[in-house]
Amino acid sequence: MDCLPHADTALPTLYLNRWRAWLPERAGEDVPACVITDEKPPAPSVPALLRRRLTPLGRAVCTLLGEMSAHERTTMPILHASRHGDGHRPLDMLDTLFEGEPLSPARFGLSVHNAVLGVYSIAFDNHASMAALAAAGEEFEALLSEARGYLAEGCDSVMLILTDSPVPERYRIQTQAPQHPSAILMELSLSPAPDAVCLQARAADTTDEPAQTITPPLLTDWLMGGSDLIARTPVLRWQAFEVMDTTPAG
Amino acid sequence: MADTPLTELERDVANMIIEALELEDITADDIEPEAPLFGEGLGLDSIDALELGLALQKRYGIRLDSDAEENREHFASLRQLSALVAERRSD
Repeated sequence: MDCLPHADTALPTLYLNRWRAWLPERAGEDVPACVITDEKPPAPSVPALLRRRLTPLGRAVCTLLGEMSAHERTTMPILHASRHGDGHRPLDMLDTLFEGEPLSPARFGLSVHNAVLGVYSIAFDNHASMAALAAAGEEFEALLSEARGYLAEGCDSVMLILTDSPVPERYRIQTQAPQHPSAILMELSLSPAPDAVCLQARAADTTDEPAQTITPPLLTDWLMGGSDLIARTPVLRWQAFEVMDTTPAG
Repeated sequence: MADTPLTELERDVANMIIEALELEDITADDIEPEAPLFGEGLGLDSIDALELGLALQKRYGIRLDSDAEENREHFASLRQLSALVAERRSD
């Protein structure tokens, strides 16, 4: 099936040039080559003295950005969205404060939302535009909006990173959080690279199932041929399909 | 491996450094007692210096003034840091 250009910018068409995911919960399962499941990814390109400060999630993001050679694309913005940041660290620090203990400077330094991208930027000497987002459960929608802004301004491609991580047990009654950390990286553009996947939005109608929080495992299933993705803000039904022929017709 | 064997205190301080700074794949015997801890040598950075200050306080009850000029000397090597601990520990 061909991807049809759509005049209505409210119903965007994007191209997914490449993607990679980290899903440790699927270790031992049959996953495609672009999905890694190591509990603690190696992040071989990050110097050991920087790597020691990364959680498994941070190591996964650096591993996959390295595999995708993002640092060789010095004009490609990198956007990282996550609802709860990098694991327990920020919330554990609240406990430390409550107990009247001094905070660990290293953990404090790495508890900010853009910490993973900061370490990545130092390790790979990549000075491209980078931003960290949080959007109360609508992180993927926020990533798409931000990415479309960069693409509209003329960027060839944008790297999207969505990560998710568990919160400590005592917070689980207050918020939806997964049992396992996960990450997905998607390189998007407005025109297809060879073997790109077309991501096409359609208006969602009233018969659509209720929108759910979009997580890395859900996106992986979608890209592996699962059912359409329903985004919340704006409400859109996203379809993903292979681009069969990128040659302009006649 | 270090050229000279570590004293018991140096080994204790080395283990504090490894634990506090979450140094991967490093044992006390990998830390050369006379080698610089920061920059060259072990390659620690300014955040590590703050972290070590906290660890010294927790483990040995030593409080350092973060602006003091002599901190540079205390943190110069494992041997220097161990000498500080021997002199000022109150744990």
